[in-house]
Amino acid sequence: MTDYEIHELMTCRVAAEVDNDGVTVMGSFTPLAYASYMLAKLTHAQDAYLVGFDAVGMAPVQLSFTGAEASAYKGAACRWGMLTEINSIHLANHGGVEAVSSAQFDGSGAINLSAIGPFDAPKVRLPGGAGAAEVIKMYRKMIAYFGNHNPRTLVDKVQFVTGTRWKVGDRAREEAGLQPGPIVVVTNLAVLVKDDDDRPFRIESVHPGVDVRTVVDNTGFELQVPADVPVTAEPTQEQLDLLRNRIDPFGTVKFDFVSGRERLSYLKEILDAEWDRAAARLA
Amino acid sequence: MSSSRTNGKVVALESLGDIVRDGESVAFGGGWFANHPMAAVRQLIRAGRRDIHAITVVGSVDMDLMAAAGTLGHLSFSMVTLEAFGLAPNVRGGIESGSLPFTEYTGLGLLIGLEAQGRGMPYLPYRGPFGSDIPGRYPDIYATTTCPFTGEELTAVRALQPDVAIVHALRADAEGNAQWDGTSGPDVEMAKAAKRVIVTCEEVVDRQVIVDNAHMTKLPGYYVDAVIEAPFGAHPTSHVPRYAMDAWELMGYAAAAGDPAAIAEYVAQISGETEEGYRTRVLKGRDSVLSALVDAAEVIEGAQA
Repeated sequence: MTDYEIHELMTCRVAAEVDNDGVTVMGSFTPLAYASYMLAKLTHAQDAYLVGFDAVGMAPVQLSFTGAEASAYKGAACRWGMLTEINSIHLANHGGVEAVSSAQFDGSGAINLSAIGPFDAPKVRLPGGAGAAEVIKMYRKMIAYFGNHNPRTLVDKVQFVTGTRWKVGDRAREEAGLQPGPIVVVTNLAVLVKDDDDRPFRIESVHPGVDVRTVVDNTGFELQVPADVPVTAEPTQEQLDLLRNRIDPFGTVKFDFVSGRERLSYLKEILDAEWDRAAARLA
Repeated sequence: MSSSRTNGKVVALESLGDIVRDGESVAFGGGWFANHPMAAVRQLIRAGRRDIHAITVVGSVDMDLMAAAGTLGHLSFSMVTLEAFGLAPNVRGGIESGSLPFTEYTGLGLLIGLEAQGRGMPYLPYRGPFGSDIPGRYPDIYATTTCPFTGEELTAVRALQPDVAIVHALRADAEGNAQWDGTSGPDVEMAKAAKRVIVTCEEVVDRQVIVDNAHMTKLPGYYVDAVIEAPFGAHPTSHVPRYAMDAWELMGYAAAAGDPAAIAEYVAQISGETEEGYRTRVLKGRDSVLSALVDAAEVIEGAQA
């Protein structure tokens, strides 16, 4: 068995959803999603068309906190602004894969990035959804990923619907003028899929060492449990080499899996490494 | 030749407080940690502007700093976050305590509201955020409309006209012709929608420099009322290709932002210094590395775009 960490397995599983069709857009620097797209582009989906920070047709880039935007620009064929991008990709049905994470997610595919508690006087005011409210509906595939699979995040019903998939089943989506495609949830425990409005998410696979019961107990919404649940594919050595050496040598993906007090020192270490590399260019 | 061409629009950053008045709605350009007009944000704080209705698509330290300084009377946004550095504590605290009235837009809805205004339309229809709870909260902004040809139900979003738009460009000339090399984010749409437009830029150049690079002009001068030279004017956010975001200053900001005494000191320091003083204090000769970070960012060689 290859030695790997859970964020690497999740990255590989999200990457498996990226294909050569449509356009994939990245906004805020969300390392796991970025790494997944780059991995796909370096392996099975070399024609995947990427857009980052309004840089269109970008080359695969190495991940860094300070350089994500600059690297997107460097290899891009075209530089747009936000409005051209939304009118030309999101709303024109060219969107391929959209990967999101949210504070709450429910069994209908709704996300909450707005508020915990009353909307007008929230207990926790969240960042807001940016384009997610519209984009998760428009794209062919919606991927939701969560580093901590628990019933406070995967809830029966989100407290506020920032955005939804709106129509889930292929036929319902096509009738509504939307591209057909599933919702795929990738967590630290399992992969869940929903492709029908009237049926709940089903467990597609559990990660190595995770039992089905743990997944069900940690999910706040109803799950369909097949008689045989396969085990999620582990990362290959080639994938791990690409992730560790070429795509994310600074370890930005792991940052979102580090909690508490260690988080800040981990971030500082990455930033120091980024600084040193840039300073060395001046020397 | 129109007056907009003969009268130079170049003014000093210090005059910003006279151009933007208390109580006005102001759209701030940039997005994520890119290109926010931070020199202008700092100057509005120095000028003691109050009750500003800020409009941002994806805001970050710009909105949080103004929330901390008491500049904001209202915030319209689709996202405000410090990303790796956490939630924006002062925006968050203001909304949670009820002291900062807000309007949460969907991201595309906000851009299309600006687009409508820029096109002289009272609203525009689009395939909106169906199923989202946001439109129902704001019946003055979002409505349902029907396509007159197909009968399809669509979302209508009302035109949004800010009093002022402030955007940060790479360079501009005295006529206000403004160029970007890196991202222009929502800047052009904001400028086209606003009653008055202020362009801050890394450098003010002769018209000939603009003409020589005309393909980079994203905002023609007839939209623009004032041009302000502000080097490192997006700092600590990025202005590619000139400089990357200053993650170290942002980390310092995030550490201060959650502590009332520390953030009050942070705001007091900015209020008490000039923009030049800010650059000297914060950059401390680090500007060459912030520029080198842009060059150091790597495209993965040998892989196809």
